[in-house]
Amino acid sequence: MKIVPRIKNLIQFFFPPQAWKVPVILMLGFFTGLFVFLFYISRAPSYLSDEPSTCVNCHIMTPQYATWSHSSHREWTNCNDCHVPQDNFFRHYWFKANDGLRHATIFALRKEPQVIFIHKAGKNVVQENCIRCHSELFFNDKMDRYTMSGHEYRREKRCVDCHREVPHGTVYGLSAVPEAKGVPLPQSPVPAWLNSIMNKNK
Amino acid sequence: MKSINQLVSKKPWLGWVLFLGTMVVVFLMGLLASTIVERRAEAVFAYTPKVEFEEWEPRHEIWGKNFPREYESWLLTSDTTYASKHMGSVTIDVLEKDPRLVVLWAGYAFSLDYKQSRGHYYAIHDIYHTLRTGAPVDGEVSTQPNTCWTCKGPDVPRMMKELGGAKEFYSGTWETLGHQIVNPIGCADCHDAQNMNLIITRPALIEAYENMNMDILKVTHQDMRSLACAQCHVEYYFDKKKYEGVSYLTLPWHKGKTMEDMEAYYDEIGFTDWVHGISKAPMLKAQHPDYELFTKGVHYDRGLSCADCHIPFKNEGGVKYSSHHAVSPLKYAHQTCQVCHREDTEELIADVYERQDNVNESRMILEDLLVQAHVEAGFAWDNGATEVQMDKSLKLIRAAQWRWDFVAASHGSSFHAPLECLRILSQGIDKAHQARYELNTLLHSLGVAGKVVYPDISTKEKAQKYIGLDMNKLRADKQKFLDVVVPDWAKQAEARQSQWKVKNI
Repeated sequence: MKIVPRIKNLIQFFFPPQAWKVPVILMLGFFTGLFVFLFYISRAPSYLSDEPSTCVNCHIMTPQYATWSHSSHREWTNCNDCHVPQDNFFRHYWFKANDGLRHATIFALRKEPQVIFIHKAGKNVVQENCIRCHSELFFNDKMDRYTMSGHEYRREKRCVDCHREVPHGTVYGLSAVPEAKGVPLPQSPVPAWLNSIMNKNK
Repeated sequence: MKSINQLVSKKPWLGWVLFLGTMVVVFLMGLLASTIVERRAEAVFAYTPKVEFEEWEPRHEIWGKNFPREYESWLLTSDTTYASKHMGSVTIDVLEKDPRLVVLWAGYAFSLDYKQSRGHYYAIHDIYHTLRTGAPVDGEVSTQPNTCWTCKGPDVPRMMKELGGAKEFYSGTWETLGHQIVNPIGCADCHDAQNMNLIITRPALIEAYENMNMDILKVTHQDMRSLACAQCHVEYYFDKKKYEGVSYLTLPWHKGKTMEDMEAYYDEIGFTDWVHGISKAPMLKAQHPDYELFTKGVHYDRGLSCADCHIPFKNEGGVKYSSHHAVSPLKYAHQTCQVCHREDTEELIADVYERQDNVNESRMILEDLLVQAHVEAGFAWDNGATEVQMDKSLKLIRAAQWRWDFVAASHGSSFHAPLECLRILSQGIDKAHQARYELNTLLHSLGVAGKVVYPDISTKEKAQKYIGLDMNKLRADKQKFLDVVVPDWAKQAEARQSQWKVKNI
């Protein structure tokens, strides 16, 4: 059996009989519409970007956003620069998808703790990314070489063990920054034109 | 290959599977969509009051209609299941756990009954039940003044206003205001009903600030988050000289807030809480100098307030509020300690226990010495010692036990300020040794040959028998009081409170 007719057969298998065509199209439309709505309301496309505002789509990360946006790191980094691996494309999206799904699950189940701790995998990534930008700190100019202590500092101690306040400050917890200004929490999903029509009818 | 239609017509159950499967998927997608919408709405919160009430409203359930989160977390202070290594919110009969205290407080009401304090919710319940307030039934009066109500709830500021002042409130014996003070420590004790700002409702703290030439209205909000607690969690005494027949609640902060400052003040005015039943020493009873000792610790130095750990901020679906479940922060280390400390919960709690254990060790040494000193002083009296001969050792006993009590009576100080606690205890141990040395020398000079017999105080009952208490009678009287008087107070309170109007908005 040749490959093309085989595929044709397979498609044929899923096709409804003539009489069902209209209801099936309607049903498909229904599902597609629902799916698009879900896509829209959860701001799904934003998760592919590096926009820090994506990370406050749910309000849990507000303190992290606020502290970062008042730190010197704001000028050079976004959330993903430090919290997602940057060495290759596949690892980048694999890690991001994993972390994102874990966060989404915890948020949906309302299991978020009052104070968030970074996981071990996340810690390792942050350390990698500290070194990615600050590699000159491991470099001995006189010797024109990476320093001997580099190994120790890279593997046994993490940068943030001492630089604890970089960049999220000293006080942690979901309630840590009640007065934070300029955190781009998500706006209403209802478009303005719809809003104005609704208000006119009132 | 057959079409799906043919398959279904051949096996009708397959059609049902398709139908039900689709239904479930659509249903779940709908649920998911609606939770997303709902959770996003949580980020927006507006305070919408439900009722309007008067400034003095003492009932927490009324405030709770406007502030459900704060009220519900306050209700959790009724929980008595949490026990830390040394304390917690369980009921601990301290005299039973450590019968030596019965001897230390011989001749004073604390030797009758002393239990580890529970949550704010129980303030009224527990003052009814403690044997220290006596059993004022059938026209009998309590051994305590109305001043003992001062820290029991928001009916107190209400009554002070109604009676015309603190002096009027402090007058009279404890049972005369019993029907008025029925709501336990809560909202109106610390909050202004108009704007929810923290306020000081107890005159003693305001007067203490005046005595130190300070103005309590000129403090920061962060200070208020400790001072609201310091209205009650402080060392105090009853000044009976200020007004005739009035036990005027006073904080001994005139010279300062350290252990030595307060002792110097008490010595200067010649104040004595009671004369010890065995040693006849002029004793001081430290109440709970929680705030004073907290200000000696590193957490205070770093700018923390009581509320930072005991009424911590919580976040519930984007709404920030203060959890009013005032309790040992170790119960919720993840929302107290770990807001600043990144270490594991177990590690942090182990650090706390280490400090508590060490302070406790020194406290036990001093406690043993004090029991011996009291018994030896009693023995010297029995062998004909005179007041002049005893004076020096009795003063040392007073000073030593004041130091012991200052640490023992304060809640949490072994963690709040372990260094200060150990400093005070080491002084106490020195003073107790000095007292025993003086007594020994005295016994020697009196030519007493016999040995001091130390009593068997291995249980609370034995210790109370040793100091001559008839506990059965006290307990029977108390039961009568609880059966007859308390229900009557509750009835009067209900009749009064049902008259108060609350306006629904």
